[in-house]
Amino acid sequence: MAAPSWAQVPKPLQRLFDHFPLLTYDATTLPERSRPATDDTLPTLYTFTTPEEASLGRPSFNPSCLKWQTLLRLSKVPVRILPSTNHSSPTGALPFLLPPRSVSQTPIPASKLTDYIRTHGRPLPPAPVTPRLDAYQALIDLPIRNAWLYVVYLHSGGRADGWYIEPASRDPLIRYALRNGLREAAAAEILKGTGMLGIDLEDLDMQVLEKRGQEALESLAELLRESETGWFFGAEEPGVFDASVFAYTYLLSRHVSDRDISGTVKVAAGGALDKHQMRMLEMAWPGWDKEKL
Amino acid sequence: MASSLSPGGSRKQAGVNTLTEPQPDPVGLQTVLDNALAPASVHSIELHGATNTRRSLLDHIFNPIIESSRNPNTTLGDVTAQIGIASGKLSRLGIFREESTRVFLADAPRSQPGLDPNRTELDVSFNVRERGRFALSAGTDFGNSEGTAYTNAEVRNILGGAEKLTLNARVGTRTRSAYNATLSAPVNGNPDIQVALEALKSSAQKPWASHDEHLTGGSLKLAWAGVRPGDTHSFTFASIWRQLTGLTAQASPTIRHDAGDSVKNSLGYSYIRDRFDRSGIHSLPQSGHQLRITTELAGWGPLQGDVSFSKTEFELNKTLPGPRTSGVIFSGGLRLGLLYPLPFSYSLQGAALPSRVNDRFQLGGPTDVRGFKIGGLGPHDGSDAVGGDVFAAGGISMLFPLPVLGADSPLRLQLFANSGRLVALKHKGKSTEASSSLVGHGSGAVFKGVQSAVSDLVTGLPSTAAGFGLVYAHPVARFELNFSLPLVTRRGEESRKGLQFGVGINFL
Repeated sequence: MAAPSWAQVPKPLQRLFDHFPLLTYDATTLPERSRPATDDTLPTLYTFTTPEEASLGRPSFNPSCLKWQTLLRLSKVPVRILPSTNHSSPTGALPFLLPPRSVSQTPIPASKLTDYIRTHGRPLPPAPVTPRLDAYQALIDLPIRNAWLYVVYLHSGGRADGWYIEPASRDPLIRYALRNGLREAAAAEILKGTGMLGIDLEDLDMQVLEKRGQEALESLAELLRESETGWFFGAEEPGVFDASVFAYTYLLSRHVSDRDISGTVKVAAGGALDKHQMRMLEMAWPGWDKEKL
Repeated sequence: MASSLSPGGSRKQAGVNTLTEPQPDPVGLQTVLDNALAPASVHSIELHGATNTRRSLLDHIFNPIIESSRNPNTTLGDVTAQIGIASGKLSRLGIFREESTRVFLADAPRSQPGLDPNRTELDVSFNVRERGRFALSAGTDFGNSEGTAYTNAEVRNILGGAEKLTLNARVGTRTRSAYNATLSAPVNGNPDIQVALEALKSSAQKPWASHDEHLTGGSLKLAWAGVRPGDTHSFTFASIWRQLTGLTAQASPTIRHDAGDSVKNSLGYSYIRDRFDRSGIHSLPQSGHQLRITTELAGWGPLQGDVSFSKTEFELNKTLPGPRTSGVIFSGGLRLGLLYPLPFSYSLQGAALPSRVNDRFQLGGPTDVRGFKIGGLGPHDGSDAVGGDVFAAGGISMLFPLPVLGADSPLRLQLFANSGRLVALKHKGKSTEASSSLVGHGSGAVFKGVQSAVSDLVTGLPSTAAGFGLVYAHPVARFELNFSLPLVTRRGEESRKGLQFGVGINFL
């Protein structure tokens, strides 16, 4: 919409303005810390990861980030990975994608990434048309996620400190404050996920969380065994659901190998999930040394 | 000889004739002047009305009078000078009502035994009224192009030692909320040396760089008055948790990269010398100068935290009166700043991390380099002012009275030109990997980076704007409405063509 006439600069004044500035030099160089962030040739996926792993393109340690990282790789959408925090995100959560500046400055949240992949890469297979999809998706979103939140965030030997707290600040007081905040948020998520709002976390049997996660993984493994293609719901190619499962099975077997739940990933339904995980890795990170991933 | 010091007006020492009521006929000024060189001594000191004030605090103030009068060579002039100093200190403590402080001098009665008949023996009596212990206030403030509304609660003289607790809450045009609690007290009873412990929590918008900054922290500050009036020094230790969050949709990659938490632990020193002559009927300085030097050491050695650097700023403003009675004032200002990244270790040799946006300088805006938007100068990532590590800015202006209103009016016409240059440290070589900003650069590379940034300040002409406008010198703040045009800019810098409004205390 054009500006109202009173807000427009009068013509003679505009002609004067057009003469200024008399001299324009080149832009001032950006500060050093901007350099990795402003390399503009590729879209950037902001994820939870370490700088070293980001530069190598290795899998993120956050299930949601890993899911979308995997899907982007499966669809051959070239992206650059940057380590980041929730503070940088337009939605308050990672991951999100920032297109190259020449294209757009508007970040794309995870919820819009399927559309982005459709227009920028090899399309993903369509979601299976079956009422069972929602039921199985719920297994990932509730019991498996709750078990993950428990073993990573709340369990005393969990990895959350090294992944989320230590990179945020070197200060012990701030780490303490952030750790408490993170644990509270994880506990709230678990209570929400178990439908037990209003219950104190202390009253919740943590062992049960892991057990339910294991049961959910076993159901998924059985579902996978039914498939002739080795992908969920008998699809020809891995899709969004495969990536969602892979994000947890990969992380559980890599990062919490000392717990029962990672054993479940290995043995459930004759190792169906383990095999699925290996095939996903080969598809998304082809030619990579599995030991190094 | 001085023998008594009675705070509170109720304590008396036996054998000393104390004044409970101010005498209608104290030693006259003329008498004092006539006898300035006559030997004199203080016989007694009394303080009336300081019911909540500790004796130990008052001892620090009155002891010098007694000490000086012990010397047999003390004259009446010396005694009155000491009394003047003590009275000044009393008023600077901020716990007494200024208008109600009175000093009375009287000859001690000759009947007392042991008095030297050749000396004037004085009974000194101070009358004060304590200010209320609690005070609530609310109002508006202007500063650095921001208006804020505040409420303030003060508890004075908490333990009787002129301790003060101030609680302050404010919201502003860019401050979403800010809470401060400050506990301050004079050191050793000297109101010119203050120690203050402060806790703060705030949230402010930084629209020039598309984010909000939340601060939580505390500081311990020692401030003292310099030898000459108008000089103040302060030494501060501060620890602040900064959270860069709430990014707008269009925030640049630089700001996204810097989003998150960081802790700054720093030691700072500042020196302010204010020699402006503000004797005119309005708040415009007529002549004189003002110097401000601040320097800060963060993160290095035992300080730790997430950022490590030294940061120094220098500011000089000078004002010269024009020809007599013309009402013309010339003024000039110069500001310089340098941020030097340092390692966290105790040495200067280790790798230093590059600076973050919340530590770097911003330049431009109606109160510094006019004709540019706030943060309009220096490196820009998209539309975000991401700041620089080194800057120099200067400006000159000429203020003259308006035709009809004349020199007595606080309204002035202004002509100005100002320039600035803000640059970031540069490192040779291509390091686009995310890890380079975490591993940092060796001391040699940092030094070369600083060197090249400093030499960058003078490559080409500085970004410059010039214009004219109206200045209104209100006692609370200075208001300016200017019309300006940019003469020299750099690509990405945000200048303003046309009108610009500015409110503030300190202008370039």
